[in-house]
Amino acid sequence: MSLYQITSLNELPPGARKLVTVAGKAIGIFNVNGQIVAVQNICPHELAPICVGRVDGTTLESQPGQMIWGRDGEILACPWHGWEFDLLSGQCLTDRRRLRQFEVKIVDETIFIAVYS
Amino acid sequence: MNDSAWIIDTDIHPYIDPQRVADFLPQPWRRRVQSGNAGPGHLGYWNPNGVRRSDVFAPDDSPEKGKRVDADAATMVKHHLDRFALSHGILNADLINVGLSPETDFACAFMSGVNEAIVTDWFTVSPRILASIHITPTDPQHAAAEIRRWAAHPQFVQVLMPSGSRTAYGSRLYHPIYAAAEECGLPVAIHPGTEGLGVSGVPTAAGYPSNYLEWHTGLVGSYLAHLISLISEGVFVKFPKLKFVMIEGGVSWLVPLLWRFDKNWKALRQLSPWLIHPPSHYAYEHILLTTQPIEEPENPQQLQTLLAMMPIEKMLMFSSDYPHWDGDTPDFVGRHIPAAHRQQVLRDTAWALYRLDERTKNTNPHHASKSIQNLKSKIQNPYVPLSNHELE
Repeated sequence: MSLYQITSLNELPPGARKLVTVAGKAIGIFNVNGQIVAVQNICPHELAPICVGRVDGTTLESQPGQMIWGRDGEILACPWHGWEFDLLSGQCLTDRRRLRQFEVKIVDETIFIAVYS
Repeated sequence: MNDSAWIIDTDIHPYIDPQRVADFLPQPWRRRVQSGNAGPGHLGYWNPNGVRRSDVFAPDDSPEKGKRVDADAATMVKHHLDRFALSHGILNADLINVGLSPETDFACAFMSGVNEAIVTDWFTVSPRILASIHITPTDPQHAAAEIRRWAAHPQFVQVLMPSGSRTAYGSRLYHPIYAAAEECGLPVAIHPGTEGLGVSGVPTAAGYPSNYLEWHTGLVGSYLAHLISLISEGVFVKFPKLKFVMIEGGVSWLVPLLWRFDKNWKALRQLSPWLIHPPSHYAYEHILLTTQPIEEPENPQQLQTLLAMMPIEKMLMFSSDYPHWDGDTPDFVGRHIPAAHRQQVLRDTAWALYRLDERTKNTNPHHASKSIQNLKSKIQNPYVPLSNHELE
């Protein structure tokens, strides 16, 4: 496993994303309300480049007829079929498949990700 | 040109701006569309992801960077046909909703304008681009004339109607359309998405659904109704050479419906005495389905079991639905089709149905760009994804 330097923290403010290719893998790095996460840029459904999708909130589990908006900035929706994924856990909201996540390390305000090459 | 590695995409949605269609309209319809009124519109059901995919732009590392792939013929050839090793793609415009306008004169003129726009802006760019003849089913006489007008064009390969309708399509009201199509050797197809629009009935048999999820899932209802009507009213007895393509209606419902239909026919055949065979016989001889959106049960084996119950080798054709939100890629569909029938589904059935031998004999068989040649090895064996990314 190797650590790869991505960018500095102040170049990836909350809501921002950066797409990189590291060790042959396309990866998206997101600042989710202050927490940095890295996921592989492949949707586990039909292999779309998911990291160009919309980052948004979503409607939370609720009673019939109730619309409760929440989780702003935490949900990544695939640009092909709209499957929603929790960026913090990688889990799809509607399927057991999940995004491949990479470990993130912050050292002296610099973002690194850990990738097996 | 019969390279087995190439695929035919039977459902692509070009973006055709109504303002471009206006260029081909006679007055007063040109002025009407230019003033912003292009027909009956939609019910407004909201898809939170957008009906067209958000990533329809050519990739950053291409000379066409940022250009819409679905709005320009050359860009579509390169970034959809070539990318997925598609030898041909059939265009079906989203604008079929206008054919359901209660303003029949306008609807007829507009659908003719859509055909003109396709001939002018798309066919001229590449012979690999094929299309449906877009018609106004509410005026079958005009529709028949429009079919005959374009039938000799080698790139018009079928007739397209919206699956939203005022009356189910077996009705003899529509038979002039089938007579013209059969005479011209063209299949007739329907495409979903217009249910509830214009003069069509309510969007589902149970009335108005409350959101896009309900509406879109229920679209299959009109497919069931049309199939029952077409067979029951003897369309395929009266027009024995006619083929009917049910685009984007799904696949899994067909067999159980036909079980029910055959059972009822055994007791009730005197109401349709022209049916000398069970309804399923006519379905399997005359109906074709397209793959997208292929059903995805949690246990994929269940879909295989279902596909084995029907003659998919002669009635199922690949479609991507590009660039709509629920589209499928050829590799994704290919992995769901049993290997023994993959070639027929991805290519051969469409090749024969649309008579591509005849249509392509005067065109250069090596018209496709190099990238297709490069992709061929990937498609054949093993059946690997064509994604730029490799799975770990």
